[in-house]
Amino acid sequence: MKRLFALLLPIFIFLSACSTKELSSASEAKLLEHKWKQIEQEAKNTKVRMFMWGGDEGINDYMDEWVAPKLKKQYGITFERIPMDTHEILQKLLNEKKAAEEKGTIDIIWINGENFKNAKENDLLFGPITEKLPNFQKYIDTRSLNTQYDFGTAVDGLEAPWGKVQFVFLYDASKISQPPRTFAELKDWIKEHPGKFTYPDPTDFTGNAFLRHLLYEAVGGSEKLLKQGYDPQFVKNEVEKMWAYLNEIKPYLWRKGETYPNSLTELDRMYSQGEVWMTMGYNEARAESLIKNGTFPTSTRSFVLESGSIGNTHFLAIPFNSPNKAGAMVTINFLLSPQAQLEKFRPTYWGEGMSLDPNKLPEKDQQTLKQINRGKSVLSSDVLKDHLLPEVDSRYVGWLKENWLHEVARKR
Amino acid sequence: MKWLEKDSFLFLLPAFLLTIVLVGYGVMMAISESLHKNGRLTFQYYIDVFKNNNFIASLSYSLWIALVSTFFSMLIGLLITRWLYYYLKSDFLKIIYWIPMLFPHFVWGYMMVLLFSQSGWFSSLAYRIGIIHHPDEFLVIIKDSHGIGIMITYIWKETPFVILMLLPVYHQLNHQLSSVVKTLGGKDWDVFKTVEWPWIMPVLFETSIIVFAFILSAYEVPYLLGTTYPKMISLLVYEWFFEGDWSNRPKAFAAMLSVTMFIFSIMMAYTSLLIKKRYQMMKGNGK
Repeated sequence: MKRLFALLLPIFIFLSACSTKELSSASEAKLLEHKWKQIEQEAKNTKVRMFMWGGDEGINDYMDEWVAPKLKKQYGITFERIPMDTHEILQKLLNEKKAAEEKGTIDIIWINGENFKNAKENDLLFGPITEKLPNFQKYIDTRSLNTQYDFGTAVDGLEAPWGKVQFVFLYDASKISQPPRTFAELKDWIKEHPGKFTYPDPTDFTGNAFLRHLLYEAVGGSEKLLKQGYDPQFVKNEVEKMWAYLNEIKPYLWRKGETYPNSLTELDRMYSQGEVWMTMGYNEARAESLIKNGTFPTSTRSFVLESGSIGNTHFLAIPFNSPNKAGAMVTINFLLSPQAQLEKFRPTYWGEGMSLDPNKLPEKDQQTLKQINRGKSVLSSDVLKDHLLPEVDSRYVGWLKENWLHEVARKR
Repeated sequence: MKWLEKDSFLFLLPAFLLTIVLVGYGVMMAISESLHKNGRLTFQYYIDVFKNNNFIASLSYSLWIALVSTFFSMLIGLLITRWLYYYLKSDFLKIIYWIPMLFPHFVWGYMMVLLFSQSGWFSSLAYRIGIIHHPDEFLVIIKDSHGIGIMITYIWKETPFVILMLLPVYHQLNHQLSSVVKTLGGKDWDVFKTVEWPWIMPVLFETSIIVFAFILSAYEVPYLLGTTYPKMISLLVYEWFFEGDWSNRPKAFAAMLSVTMFIFSIMMAYTSLLIKKRYQMMKGNGK
């Protein structure tokens, strides 16, 4: 008997894991009709699990040391952060969707761009949620293109903007006195300093953004691309200049352009060891925490090119099978509060741009915002604002990946 | 056979079932996804994959790296085993060859970066003592287009594995046969050829298939040490699999399954050719 039990137990466990638990989806649809007070009540003493990219210590500390205790105190929510790459989270959700798993493990995901497009197209998200969130209604510029579109995909209330970042180049001011102001000047600089510049492989998020700047320049501005939508044929004709530029600088890049860093992390490492003199990144304030922990030299400063720098918004969303949707909504609403956003803006943890409209903030918070010193490596908000460029259709990301390989990497 | 006794087999069944079900299901899904396009059965993805220049470049690059690394791991492993067996009697020292096995591949890969990259330890050393005048002059073996860094890492990691597999065989050898060869006027080479080779050959081949299959489909070391183009096969497939719009996924499955089939057919060929021979050897005198 005992043996039979030992034999059957794992089989039962396996089978029970396969069976989908019935969950009345009717009650969930109703959640969106509830009053906000009611939702807050429902969220009390529950657990919220957020799956998010965990590669940045500053961000992790912000979530664990600041957000989690506050949520516990103000809403009685136990917050748990699980580090995982976004595409793997989506893979997990897709598998659960295929297996008709109605009760998942993820309550909140951090998402944008291609990933959002995938999630939306595969019905992996719960919503629309944003119209229910008081802080979204109160503090966010709901008419701005940045909150309505995510890399050209209509948001449709399925995700709430969490933060804004802008692309900057980082350089070591002790080695470079005057950073280049245009792509032409950058080219001259690269030629004068062979081996001291490179960019990550465009399969990397940051490397791809670097190429998009060149793409905008080559086609004559982002407006044209936005107006045109995704049109490979149009771009193909216009983009010769971009490949020519990249191939012209190639022999002067790090390792003569025979190979490129796989990721921004690798480029950062080379920058911190002085192998290259510039790095870049999709957060205007990212150097601050890296200078503080000694990775980057203290003389690190940032610059943008006159042609502009791409900014993008990243969002929070709730998976279709989140086991605690009320808790997730309350948590997201808290993360969009002026209090949480100002703390995120401070260089203490993360130092990242707010998703809120500063003009909509209460007087007191506007004052606080003005007083926050983001650090020497961060450009002033006026400079950043003047150079802000929008994102274009996310299909260009893939287009660049593929064509860069043919047009640049494979050419010897 | 003892393990097939009724009781113990029963206890193995759950683990066995779980493995078969989970792995088997995954493989089945992969096969089915690679064969269906819009719900219709098709070989289109396989045709696409083999027409794709990136794939062909990756495949030949991976095969090249796997072959070279396997060959040198075997050769060096064999030489060290013989040396350990004949000249090193202390058991304690034999433990040293274990050291590279203690660390994961990823750690050795990163060690390679720290030691051999152009801003690495050896480069700085060479620069300090004045062998090179600029860090850029240091030999490029990290992220080089021939995959030398990858090969070094694998040879370094797999050689101990080869020794681990070969050493017991040497201990089982009938050494009276060596004496026979010697008395009949044979040289060391003759001893190796007539006494050792027939014994170690099957193990050597088995080991090389394991090592070859492992390197061919490896991910972490080429990720750290590989170049942008061509990429090793797993890197390319990973890229296809996780790419933006998921449209390349069936292609990723087709590519990986092709590699699996390739390794599988090598294994089948080996089994049918060599197991027979090995059996004869065990029975008789190797002829």
